[in-house]
Amino acid sequence: MDKSLLLLVALGGVTRYYLQNFHWIGERVEVSTPINSFKRVQEGVYLYENGIDPYLGDVVHELPVILVLLVRIFNSISNFVPLLYVLIDLMTATLLYKMAQQFVRSKLTEQKFESSEYAVGTEELQVQATDMNVVPRCVILAYLFNPLSLLSCAGLTSTVFSNFLIALTLYFLVKRHLLPCIVCLALETMRNLYPIVLIAPVILVFTQRSKNTFTSSISILALFASACFAITGFNYALINSWSFLDATLGFIFFYRDLQPNIGLFWYFFTEMFEHFRTMFLITFQMNATVLYLVPLSLKLRKEPLLLATVLIALMSIFRSYPSVGDVSFYLALLPLWRRCWKFMAHNFVVFCFFVVTLSMMPALWQLWIYSGSANANFYFGTTLAFSTGQIFLVTDLLFAHVKRDFCLRNGLKVYVDGKEAKIILE
Amino acid sequence: MELKIKIICFIALLVSPIGAVKEFSEFHEELYIRPTSSGHVNTFFQFTTRWHYGDRENLHNTQLIPRPIAETLLLYDVKELHIGLTQGLWRYETFGYPVVDSAPGAEVRAWFAAENLTSADVDDQWTKLASTFSGILCASLNFIDKTNSVEPKYSFRPTFATGSKVNVPQFVRYATLPREIVCTENLTPWKKLLPCNSKQSFASLLNSGYVHNTNYHSLGMKMRTICESHNTNCILEFTETANMVYDPKLLGANGDFSLRRLFGQGLNGHCALAKSSKIYVNLDDQSYDLTPLPMYNTTSKRGGSTSTFGVYDIQRLDGDKLFNIAWIKSKNNKPSILLTPPPPLYAHRYILGHGQERGQIVTQITNKHYHALPIVFQENIPWFVPSYMHTLKLIVQPSNGVEYQIQPRVMHYIPGVQRVRPYHLELLFEIPAMSTVQISFDFDYIFLKWLEYPPDANHGHYLGSAIITTQLPIGRNYTAIPIDKHLFVDSFNATRSSYFLEIRTESLILSLPTPDFSMPYNVICLACTVVALAFGPIHSVATKRIVIEQKDGQPQSLKGKVLQKLFRRKQNNAGNSTKEVEQHEKLLFGQAAADISIRKN
Repeated sequence: MDKSLLLLVALGGVTRYYLQNFHWIGERVEVSTPINSFKRVQEGVYLYENGIDPYLGDVVHELPVILVLLVRIFNSISNFVPLLYVLIDLMTATLLYKMAQQFVRSKLTEQKFESSEYAVGTEELQVQATDMNVVPRCVILAYLFNPLSLLSCAGLTSTVFSNFLIALTLYFLVKRHLLPCIVCLALETMRNLYPIVLIAPVILVFTQRSKNTFTSSISILALFASACFAITGFNYALINSWSFLDATLGFIFFYRDLQPNIGLFWYFFTEMFEHFRTMFLITFQMNATVLYLVPLSLKLRKEPLLLATVLIALMSIFRSYPSVGDVSFYLALLPLWRRCWKFMAHNFVVFCFFVVTLSMMPALWQLWIYSGSANANFYFGTTLAFSTGQIFLVTDLLFAHVKRDFCLRNGLKVYVDGKEAKIILE
Repeated sequence: MELKIKIICFIALLVSPIGAVKEFSEFHEELYIRPTSSGHVNTFFQFTTRWHYGDRENLHNTQLIPRPIAETLLLYDVKELHIGLTQGLWRYETFGYPVVDSAPGAEVRAWFAAENLTSADVDDQWTKLASTFSGILCASLNFIDKTNSVEPKYSFRPTFATGSKVNVPQFVRYATLPREIVCTENLTPWKKLLPCNSKQSFASLLNSGYVHNTNYHSLGMKMRTICESHNTNCILEFTETANMVYDPKLLGANGDFSLRRLFGQGLNGHCALAKSSKIYVNLDDQSYDLTPLPMYNTTSKRGGSTSTFGVYDIQRLDGDKLFNIAWIKSKNNKPSILLTPPPPLYAHRYILGHGQERGQIVTQITNKHYHALPIVFQENIPWFVPSYMHTLKLIVQPSNGVEYQIQPRVMHYIPGVQRVRPYHLELLFEIPAMSTVQISFDFDYIFLKWLEYPPDANHGHYLGSAIITTQLPIGRNYTAIPIDKHLFVDSFNATRSSYFLEIRTESLILSLPTPDFSMPYNVICLACTVVALAFGPIHSVATKRIVIEQKDGQPQSLKGKVLQKLFRRKQNNAGNSTKEVEQHEKLLFGQAAADISIRKN
């Protein structure tokens, strides 16, 4: 990293540290959910210190290992806790930068082998040497100065830890370090359940060069499962009770807290008929995890990182307690696919969706909760529109990738009978 | 058959006097009337039945005690039970302390004790007990279950005695239903539990039209057992109380009042089964003249304060006339300001904050005594009020001086779980002399499922009152009956080293944010549509092939585009475009391109 980048990182850190003075940020429902709010972490630390099982109630939803770590940190350097969140977020940004560098490097070497297959005049679609510099910079800028990630860090949400762990996973993934990658992924899965889907890109990456794909995938799965069990066992050893499983994974899966957030779950399950609840709960959780896993893994088996990007995006749209911190993370991954941007048709629409809905949310929340002049439907409408915008973005990226892949091999302009033809999916 | 019954009756007649030697039961009725310093009138009825039933087996044959009460003892291991049904708020600063304190709404508390009793058994018996009394009193006590019951550790002390030598496990359960509205339907079954019903005796004064017109009324029921040794030689005490506060100004006649004005009628005699029937009138407030004058006066010295009582023994009255007592403002008395010192300890509770997102529950306990007092503070917070104990603060505000923070000496906290268990907090601390302690903690407003809101959802949800218990060193304003006694008259001259006091705060009302109750179908449709928006395109990306299509012949005008969109399907069916194009594709780009497109899909 050169000096200008270090300067950027420092600027990102200072901005975050400054924004932490605004305590209302951490109280916004868009930023803090029952899973990630700092208030609940504080409560967990308080209960743990007073000898009360934090998982007896339903306020604390953090893994015991992280909780105990935080208790230690609160005890020793309580004044520097906000700084810790900033540091972790900056580390996430740096990891993403390194990851992007490695990604572009490997893309460039990959291209050398395949360049004979490319059509003429598609330089625009190929990864260029300049991307070595531009793409990582875009990634780190998109993470450091995205208002959403600034808000998430300023609100001291534990999404900062989640993003860090996923960034670590991705970093080890492109660096091809199997064990650390699996451990980070297992830890994040035990915290938030949804990252379990990222095992698919992990398997794809690490079985690419092996001869017997099936055996090596099974062994990676076994490794992942044993890592999960080991983490569970370690957590059990820390507090001597299994209650944390229900407080973390159970709480996420069964969606017990109906506090509004930017996702689809809250109003849906508020208004749900009780006898349909279980069915829709399973449907929605499948939608957030396994539903797209198999088709996308088959389709994107050549591009595991794109698969990871899309899966991270889908899980932050469809998870039960999404926050803007999750959104900011996959937005930072988009510059990796710079060479697909040419085919992304809805950029402007998505941008408008994001800007309008994100600025409407606080206004309608104020009207509903404080003024009492609007009702829940207004806020639900904006969160619905926000999800729609995100979905447009993800599907657009997928279509763009497919088109780029086609055009890379067939040229930018395809002619039928000497006339220009267009590409459609059928 | 008939003969058999006659023989059994005969034997029973022979046996009963023998049994009566061992067991006895007595019934007392008392009425206490006291004008308060605020100009209100407090009337307190107490009906006490004391039954020395001896063995457990004797519980099958009841005399003065209502049968359901005795059966409760047989069925459940309950040793002590308190039920209160209250409407209105007892204002400690102006009314003083009540004889029996009760939280607004319905309140139940019971002690269970038996050998080999487990907590799970008690949970089961507790809900059954509440359901039983729900039927007996026609109150919604059947809504008491694990979601609103707590197990206080420090707040309550048992007043029963098992008499057992070995350590018998004891369990206490406590629940409040602050939303409960007390009405005639509760008063009538409550009166039916009395041996003389309501035709005669003091209970005839409790006419629902008048009872429910008061500023405060509370029906109480208390039961306890005292055994000399385990399950033998036992006494069952069953007390029914009715506590009311009237505002004489509302009754008319410029502050004068009488039994007839308060209750709608005079007293028609006493219960024939009663051992004593007495009316006690507090004579401390000398601005009233009484007609007729009390039969005799007694003075009670208790804990440093002296009170005078006038006594009317109703059993000594003769004649069929309805008995009436009138309090008439003395004419010769100059208008004077009564300087009644406020009670040594009182409390208030509020919800702070605006909006429906975050709030703070604040309880202020004021100590007017010139010594520090030990306090047990209990909060039973419903599951829909998630509270954050890391925000718990105890701030002492001395009446003159700077406020400072203290730490509770002991804290007992069981965090709640939504829809499963309430939050239960007990704090032990010492409140310094002449100061106020402010206990505050934050909570969140939560969002319930649409069917969990009560009818009239925007009315709000109730939070039961907090309970504050202490040991008072002085007896000022204190009227409760000592733990070892059972009649109101026993509180006269009952000086003890300390006085166990229980006070309750206001119950709170919390307006939770509501969803739109008319929306379920719309919400399900809209949310599923958004999911489908993702499912459709991702599905087609994953399953469909890329094909190229001719661009020519596309009309540029909007109308033409729409028409083309509409009719394209038909054209496809006619088979004149795509398939041809695919063939063209093969021709134009050779086999490789087609292979790529197939492989990619």
